Order: sequence, then structure tokens, then C-alpha cells
Amino acid sequence: MSGTETRPDRGQSRERGHGPGVGRDLGVGHSAPRPDGTLKVTGEFAYSSDLYLADMVWGATLRGPHPSARIRSVDVGPALAMPGVLAALTCEDVPGELFYGLDRRDQPVLAADRVRYQGEPVAIVAADHPERARRAAAAIVVDYEVTEAVTDPRRAAFDPSCPAVHDGGNVVRHQPVRVGGDFTAPVVVTGEYEVGMQDQAFLGPESGLAVPAEDGGVDLFVATQWLHVDRDQIAPCLGLPPELVRLTLAGVGGAFGAREDLSMQVHACMLALRTGRPVKMVYGRQESFFGHVHRHPARMRYEHGADLDGRLRYVRAEILLDGGAYCSSTPAVVGNAASLGVGPYEVPNVWIDAYGVYTNNPPCGAMRGFGAVQACFAYESQMDRLAEACGLSPVEVRVRNAVSQGSRLATGQVIDSPAPLAGMLRELAAMPLPPEPSRTAGPVAVPPPAGPARAAAATSVPDPAGVRAPGAAATPDLLDLPGGVAQTTHGEGVRRGVGYGVGIKNICFSEGFDDHSTARVRVELLGGEPHVLVRTAAAEVGQGLVTVQEQIARTELGVERVTVAQADTTVGSAGSTSASRQSYVTGGAVRAACRAVRERLAVLRANGETLAETLERAGAVEETRVYRHRPTFPMDPVTGQGDSHAQLALCVHRAVVDVDVELGLVKVVELAAVQDVGRVLNPLALEGQIHGGSAQGLGLALMEEVQVVDGRVLNPSFTDYLIPTILDMPPMRVSVLANPDPHAPYGLRGAGEPPTLSSTPAVAAAVRAATGLRLPRVPIRPHDIAMDGSRYGNWAGDRSL
Amino acid sequence: MRVSLTVNGRHRTADDVWEGESLLYVLRERLGLPGSKNACEQGECGSCTVYLDGLPVCACLVAAGQAESREVRTVEGLAGDGRLDPVQEAFTECGAVQCGFCTPGLVVQAHDLLNRTPRPTDAQIREALAGNLCRCTGYEKILDAVRLAATRKAATP
Amino acid sequence: MRPFTYERPADVRSAVAAAAGRPDAAYLGGGTNLVDLMRLGVATPRTLVDVTRISSRAIEETGGGLLIGAGVRNGDLAADPLVRRAQPLLARAVLEGASGQIRNMATVAGNLLQRTRCPYFQDVTKPCNKRLPGSGCPARTGDHRNLAILGHSEHCVATHPSDMAVALAALDALVHVEGPGGARTVPMPGLHRLPGDEPDRDTVLAPGELITAVEVPHLPFAARSRYRKVRDRASFAFAVVSVAAALDVAGGVVRDCRIALGGVAHAPWRAEAAEAALRGAAATPEEFARAADAELARSSPLPRNAFKAPLLRNVLVRTLTDLAEPAGFAESEPVETP
Repeated sequence: MSGTETRPDRGQSRERGHGPGVGRDLGVGHSAPRPDGTLKVTGEFAYSSDLYLADMVWGATLRGPHPSARIRSVDVGPALAMPGVLAALTCEDVPGELFYGLDRRDQPVLAADRVRYQGEPVAIVAADHPERARRAAAAIVVDYEVTEAVTDPRRAAFDPSCPAVHDGGNVVRHQPVRVGGDFTAPVVVTGEYEVGMQDQAFLGPESGLAVPAEDGGVDLFVATQWLHVDRDQIAPCLGLPPELVRLTLAGVGGAFGAREDLSMQVHACMLALRTGRPVKMVYGRQESFFGHVHRHPARMRYEHGADLDGRLRYVRAEILLDGGAYCSSTPAVVGNAASLGVGPYEVPNVWIDAYGVYTNNPPCGAMRGFGAVQACFAYESQMDRLAEACGLSPVEVRVRNAVSQGSRLATGQVIDSPAPLAGMLRELAAMPLPPEPSRTAGPVAVPPPAGPARAAAATSVPDPAGVRAPGAAATPDLLDLPGGVAQTTHGEGVRRGVGYGVGIKNICFSEGFDDHSTARVRVELLGGEPHVLVRTAAAEVGQGLVTVQEQIARTELGVERVTVAQADTTVGSAGSTSASRQSYVTGGAVRAACRAVRERLAVLRANGETLAETLERAGAVEETRVYRHRPTFPMDPVTGQGDSHAQLALCVHRAVVDVDVELGLVKVVELAAVQDVGRVLNPLALEGQIHGGSAQGLGLALMEEVQVVDGRVLNPSFTDYLIPTILDMPPMRVSVLANPDPHAPYGLRGAGEPPTLSSTPAVAAAVRAATGLRLPRVPIRPHDIAMDGSRYGNWAGDRSL
Repeated sequence: MRVSLTVNGRHRTADDVWEGESLLYVLRERLGLPGSKNACEQGECGSCTVYLDGLPVCACLVAAGQAESREVRTVEGLAGDGRLDPVQEAFTECGAVQCGFCTPGLVVQAHDLLNRTPRPTDAQIREALAGNLCRCTGYEKILDAVRLAATRKAATP
Repeated sequence: MRPFTYERPADVRSAVAAAAGRPDAAYLGGGTNLVDLMRLGVATPRTLVDVTRISSRAIEETGGGLLIGAGVRNGDLAADPLVRRAQPLLARAVLEGASGQIRNMATVAGNLLQRTRCPYFQDVTKPCNKRLPGSGCPARTGDHRNLAILGHSEHCVATHPSDMAVALAALDALVHVEGPGGARTVPMPGLHRLPGDEPDRDTVLAPGELITAVEVPHLPFAARSRYRKVRDRASFAFAVVSVAAALDVAGGVVRDCRIALGGVAHAPWRAEAAEAALRGAAATPEEFARAADAELARSSPLPRNAFKAPLLRNVLVRTLTDLAEPAGFAESEPVETP
């Protein structure tokens, strides 16, 4: 195997400060600086919420407060009577199609006869000040008749008496996977798992500016992940041909899946067309929580059968994903959960049923990891139980079952590029562990209460690799203990735990989707020097795609001066910035267009001529190319078989945690990761993806959950929806492997999502190892640990699976 | 109402300010300084951090009237003479910027930290930046950037 | 946000005059809580009386303790050498709250008057007796995981969110108030009410009364004190439970103590039962547990916050055990972010 590049990421004297640009190779494989970096550190970068036109007005949305209700009437009169209000629109004002949607057009632009989730848009207004717009929206009178809300996904899926959220039933997709028929084994472990609803929590709120054009069309500047699919949903709703709806990407403040669906796009355009004025819409944080889809919460039942030596004989699973009120990308999420439901393990017999259902809960759709995250938490929890049952270490049980190149997935698809999982696990396990925790006091100080005994004490923890008693005090530093600077813990009840997680993620769109990107590359003389202009519709959402496009152009054309134009719809679709696919697909398109330009130049170039001379003589050269990854195929609706994925990527994590078992506090001491990325395009940006993805996985493991009770969101704010702070995120140890995928441009493998999968089960496993508790649900919160939350009640209700 | 204040060393006046507007809104929408960001507008993310009379605060929670006659310094006012501040420079170089929405607030907060504590420990960096949420980076590169900026600042008195 | 008029009086007397007789007026301190609540539509004052510039920012040593101006910023309070020396518990508790940026704006008086983080209170689309008296309390049967286990009523199970107030309740602080009827002092605990059947009233302050200062009496054993807080992430989160405690131990016996609890009641909760049980008792974990149980005997947890009782017990026993150990008081310096 070639190209193993191991880069310990915690050097003591690391100094990466090279001045941008000068005298360095800025092509593929190097840490070229972001072209937008300076603008972003000076505050000059124009995000979608920063846009301004002198005569612009502000839009605002009225949202229904009920998870399920019929709308008897809507009266916008009071809003229109208010000073400064220019328009107040309802579903009756939608000029074209009344519905949009990524997969099914089931989502109303504005609710007509009923609302299906709390926060569904009912009316929109435009006014000369954002506060006037908000007040006008609040003044609209809607007469609701509250109806029974379907909030239990199990009931939605399986109870025939359950009301249908949409005509046609509540099951959006049921995808079985069937392999073999022998579901017997000497060792059987079962478990029921739950993943809470995670929010993408990007920082830049949904926002944009719609400008009416003289030709009757509209120009929309917006933060999105996929300009063309936005346009193709917006234009029919506006009753306009697509060419009259022109989208330009405004600065995007993070996405993580939450911008794949429309939010304010059609609304802003409707208001702009109605008022004849540019209309700016910016969601506040609270509205943002209602304005985009979340990660599907999941309830999963797993049964793993294995031989005594830990080798898997079968996996049976039921995966239930709550898609909420509208379809969004639920079908594809179900496909991922089903096809990747056993993880990167060789399993001869598989029986999976994955369901995505409609309920009156908040709509769920794309989030980094996309269906693979939920299943990964469950199957990795199961692998730990299997290790326990077989007396193996968590690493060993995974190594024994690990896929490699040539293995078959549960779908029958053969992994036809390097997949060195066993080696990755061994490398991970061989990484040095962080020093043992310090402590300042004697043994656990709290005498047992008089009441019922506490749950499992940490002394009977089964995982031999997991638990170490805290060592003797070295140099106690309270800041290093759980509870952080709060110094809540002084080391008395602290137990260390180590846990492992393995994840496999499909890269690019799957199941037969025509997944392509388009790039236009132009080489010309500017100021007497060759200059490359790259134009695509690919959305830079922070991940560094603009940098990678520049690097590819430099490498392919040997020209240092490269500009990536602002993405817009004047060039063909680039597909979505999701599924870790843009370096692959848009990178592939940019490379193809560059190579086409290079071939033209080779023909044009006279002997001994420099590039500048050729361009001077022959003029600019421009080529446009469409790139497609190899075709994928649908999963068989009955057996789930099929080569449904274009590429597969692996990441493994080890988490080391210190847990104060009496106070329920977890400090993640270190996260270590090994990821195979095929080819490193930009080391610095890649590390950023691994760190950031790992942090989101840590958040899901320990704190992040949109709390929904009876269809109502209880924590739509950053005060109450907690994401990791800099004090929650530990130092990371990262090793990157680069075993090229021969099917992909440069051999690269999409890198953004895999770390988000495996960090969650690694952290959960480490907490289990430290506490001896089963902890079948993430996020794990203090009461789950200190007090055995299952007895004291989880906030989310005492719903059984 | 009218609000007069000093922003990045210049006297500025905004007219017809509605009492319910925040300092953040006045900066972004009335004074043409959108660098301070509107990520949560609840004081929970630090993206709108600006100096108010020399102390970093969340501009989203400062009522416009509270800013009257006071001195504000925003991310737009950190670079001088066409040169980035060492904190800004380090953020770009270390990969501490991805989507960048948290960056202006982090840059101001880190700038303040290094003014008070020129050679901070990691614990001090983490504590000082705990009010600034970042969703992209996992914070590792941000720590790198603050360490690098501290080193550079120490080297050039 | 409801429209309001904004006033910036020249001194305390005119501030009180401006608010007098106007129940819909509110004083604006740092604004870190009030501005947010106004934006959410939870607070709807018609008049905002900005006292930022007229509230005292002085911290003085008086004969009997410290006098802290109402306008002292939280960050300055935690960083003040006098406070850190004389009342480390207070400095510590303040540092446990919010973030550096918030502490730079928030004032002592504003911190005391923070409103609850109950999710039903924060959301104007939901009923809440505190926000809209008589509309009901869905928290009792809904999400009360973060809410009260002590002193709640059928009308309200909210908790008070302040860390600083827990320390002040333990330290027998006196709140100086200026009102239409003149000046008075209100003891801590005692400023904050239990909800009873008037959960909309957080404190005993009369309309128009303005906090001008907080007096913290000298505590001989203040050096042996600690604030401990359990929260859902390492920083910048409200307390699930917290303990402020000071202990005076001689010859293995508790001579005196001060204990207040946070995150468990509508007010910072002075643990009088625990204190009574401790005075004269042996300074052992067993006695500390007994004291904790004495306090928790008064608790009435709800189904989904029942975990708070044993959690609180653990934190309390831990804290007191730490304080009792002769060498156990090696608290590292708080990381400063003034």
C-alpha cells in the first residue's frame, strides 16, 4: 500500500506561520492560504446578512405556534394598516407552485389550510425597518383549530390508527437490507439506542437579499449549499422561468446540511416582486431553530450475533428516523442508515429495516454525517457490548471484523479502493495515552444515601481496556479536571475511561443520483501576467473549497495567480456542498476544465513561447467541463442490494475521558483520530475538517439536543441548545492516511463528514468505560451519569423504544 | 433618537435610531460596519464582540442608548496602516478561519486577551475565549493562532 | 419588541422619580438580561430608565465589610483585589457565571435581578404564570429538568439563574435600595421571593425601587469558602445545581458555617436546615451527608428533576469535605478574565 502519510498533530514546537504566498508551492498538497482569509479577519467579508442596498426593505415571517392545526382564516389587514409596512402576503399570494421540496414537493411556500409543525411559515411581510416588519407579522390574525399532533415516530410508522400527517401515510421510506438467512450465533448481544435531535447550529443565520429586476425576474443573493437546486425550487413557486431567477452565493456562515433546504428564499423573492424593492431577510437565532431542518432523531434496536471469537455472524437492526413534518431529504437519509447500518464490518447475514417517517415534530433533513451518524452510534455501541461478551478488547473485536479492500458491504457492494480499517485501529490504539488524571483528595468522599443504592459502581466495569483508577497525584491542576475552571471536581470521584469508535461514510450522492459539477476555467493575461479565473456554482460554506479550486488550477496550469469567481447560476450546476463531495466532484470539474484549457494551449503554443506570449498572441482561452463520478445504482427495494455508493470513507476515533461519577461531569481529555483521505489536498484545511467534525460529534455525545416535547421545541437558543465551547473541546491527535482511491480525482476521498460519525460513539464508549453505565442514548448529560438518568427520568420523556 | 459615539477613532452620529436597536444594529445597519456579526443576538456566541470603552462586550446586548458618547472599537478598527494586527494575521495563517462568522468576535476577544496577558497559558486562552462559539474549527487552530500571535507580539515590542 | 421610551436620568434620585408610579418602567443596568428579554417579547417595559452611568462603580471597605456599588461590573467585581482577598467565594461565584464579554457589561444589581431561564417563561407562545399570571405552568408536567426542587409552588417551579446571588445569600449580604418611599436595606436571603401564588414577583422590591449597593459583611472564616457548580458543559451554562459554602472548623468540629444552594429554587436557597445540623457536629463526610439530607428533607422534586436531590447531596458533601480538610484548600487561582 502506498502513500501512508502520518502526521502527529500535537508537536510541541509547531510553528505553521508561513507568510502567505511568497516562494511557496501553493498547488495541490500544500497548505495554501484561504483567499477569503484576510477579508474574514478584518470583518470585510460580505455574508448574506451583511448585504445592503440604499432602498432595501426588510422581510419578516409569521410562523404558526402549533405542531398541528387547521387554519380557518388569515387576516393580514392589521399588518397592512401599520406604518412602514409595504406588503403582507399569504399562500394566496404565491405566484406559482404552492409547494417545494428537495425530494418531494410537499412543503408549502406558506401554509394554506393547515400547519404541520411548530414554526411553519404562514405569512410574510415587508416593512421599512426590521422591527416594524416583525411587529407587523405579529399583528396578522390567524384563526387556528388545533388538531391532534403526531409526535411519536413509532406510532406514526406502525400504528394504523395514527392520523396521517400527509396523504399517503406516514412512512416516507422503508428500506430493508437482506443478506443470507442464518440468524443464529453462540454469542448474541442486543441493545436499544436513541440519538437526540441535533442542530447544525451554523453561526450565520438564514439570510439573503432579493432584488427585483427590470426584466420581471429577480436576483437573489443568498447563503445556500446548492444554488441550482434552490433556483429550481424557487422559480416554479414564483411562476418564473429559471433564467429569470438568478442566484449569487453570498457569504455563508457555515452550513453543515442546514442550508440544503430552502428557508427564506421564496419569501424574499415574493416580497421583492410584490414591493418592487430589494428585500432583505435575516432570521434571528430563535427563528433559525425553526427555519431549518435538523438531524433526524433515531430510535434503533440492534441484535448482533457472533462466534465465540467475536467474529460477526449476523446483524439484525431496526432503525427508525423521525423526519418530522416534511420530507426534505429523509429518503436519502434512510438509504444511508440502511446501507451503512452494520458499519465497516464483514457480516455474512444481515436483516435491517430502516424507516423514515412523517410526524408533527420539526422537519429533519441533512446534517453532516447524514443518516450514517445515527446508525454508527448504535452499531459501535453494539461492538463494545460484543467485545464485553467475548472477553475481547474494543479494538480487537473491531479488528477481527474489519472490512478491507475487496470486502462486501451489506448492500453487496464491493469496496474497490483501499479500506485499511484494521491498520487504522492498530495505529490508533498504539498512540500514546495522555497522562493520568491528577487528584487532590482521597477516595470518593460521599457516603451512600439512605435510599435506593446507586447504579453500577465503577468497580465492576467490564471493559478491561477502559478503566483505570486515577493515579496518584502528580501535579494537581484543577483546571484539567471535569468541571473545568469551575473547579467543580477536585478529583475525588474521577474515573478515566477510554473508548473507540469506527465510522464509514458514503462520499458523493448515492443511489443512482446524477451527481455532477460544472467548471468554467479561463486563462488570460491580466497586467501582462497569466491569470486563471475559475467559475463554478459550488458553494463555499467555510470548508475551504475556494482554496482547493485555486490549488487545482495552479497545479494543472502552472499559473500562480488564480481567482475563483463568486459562485452563481451563470454556470452549470455544481451540485450540493454536502456528502463531502465538492473536492471530489467540483474539484474533478475544475481539473477537467483546466486540462481542457491546457490541451488548447498546447495546440496554440508556438515553439519556445512562454504562456504569456501565447496568451498575448492568441487571446484568452476558456473551457467549460462537466464532471461526473462513476454511476451509482438504486438499492433494491426488497433486499437493499446494489452498488449504491460512489466512494466510501473511514475514520476511527479514540476518546479519553475523565468522568466525575458523582457529579456527572465529563471532561474529554483527548480525542485521537485516524482517517484515510486518499490524498491530502490542503493539510491545514483538512485538519480543520477533522477537528471540526470531531467537535460536532463530541457535542452530540455530551450536550447537543433540540428538546421537543409534544411537538414543541423547548430550547431554540444558544443559551439552551448547548454546543461545545473551547473549554469542552480537548486537544486532538490526528493521523492522516493517504491511500489513493483510483476512481477519484487525485485519488482523494471526501473528508468532511467521517470524523463526525466516529467521535460520538468513541466519547460515549469512554464514558461507559469510566462509569460502568449502559448509556444507550446520546447526548449523555450529567443526570444520566451521576444519578442514572433512566431511573430519575430523562427530560425527553420516559419513552421506551 | 440620535446616538453619537466614537467608532474606531472617528466620531459618528446615527439619526432616527429606534430605542430598541442594539449597538450591533447601529454599527451594522446605520454606520456601515457589518464586521461584527449577528449570529445569536443573545450574548451567547460572542460573534458581535466589540470594545466598549476598552472592554470587550457583546454589542448585541448593548442598547443603542447605552452607547451614547462612548468609545467603540470593532474588528474593522484593529488593523492599522494597512497592516493586519498580529492576531488577525495568525488567524489566517493557522487555519483558524473557516466559515469565519465567529472570527471577528474571536479576533477582538483574543486581541483583548493578549493586551492584558501577553503570554497566556492554554488554560487562560480557553477561559478567555469561552464566550465565543465556533462551529467549524473545533477550536484547535484558534488556540494555535492565539499562541502564534502571542509569540509574535512578544518578539516585536 | 414593544415600543418604549428611553430615559437617562442624571442621578439616582431622578432615576427613582422617573420610575415612580410607573409599574411599566424598568431600570436598565448592563442590559445583558433585560435587552434579551425585551427582544424576545418576554419583558415589555414602556419606559426604560438607564441607570448605567449613575450607579456606583465603587468597591469600598467599610467597618463591617465591603460595600459594592450597584453598577460594579461583574468582571470588575471578580477581579477586584479587595473582593478576592476578603470574599473569595463571591469572586469565584461571579467568575462561574456567563462569559467574559457578558461579565464586562453585567452589573451587580442586574445580576441579582436576572429572570429565570425556564423554557416556558422564555417563550411567549407558551403559557407561564410568571410572565402572564394566571396562564398556567406547563413546566410542572412538561420539561422541568432544570427547574426547582425546593420551595416551588403549584404555580411556578422556576429557578433563579444567578451564581453571584447564591454567594451573596450565603454571605448574609445586605441589599441597599432607594425607592419612592426612601432608602432601605433588604437582607440576603430575603431579596428573592419564593413563587407562592405570585410567581410574577421575583423579589420583594416594590415598584420603582432601585438597588444602589450591596453590602457584604465581614466573615471571619471567609478564606475557607468555596463555590461549586455543576453544569451541562464546561463553561457558559447555567447551574444544574450549585453550592456556595463557608466552613469554620476547629478541632474537627464545625463551629460555624454558611451554605447556600443554586439552581434548585426560585431564590438562592439558604440551607438553614443543613447549617443547623452542622453547627457543633463533627467535620466528617458522614455528618456532612446528614446535613445534606436534613436540607433535602425539605425538597419536593418533580419526576424529571429528581436527580437534582442526590446530585446536590454529592456536591454539598464534596464541597464541605474539601473545606474541612486542613490541607484541602489548595484552590488554584481563578483564571481571570476581567
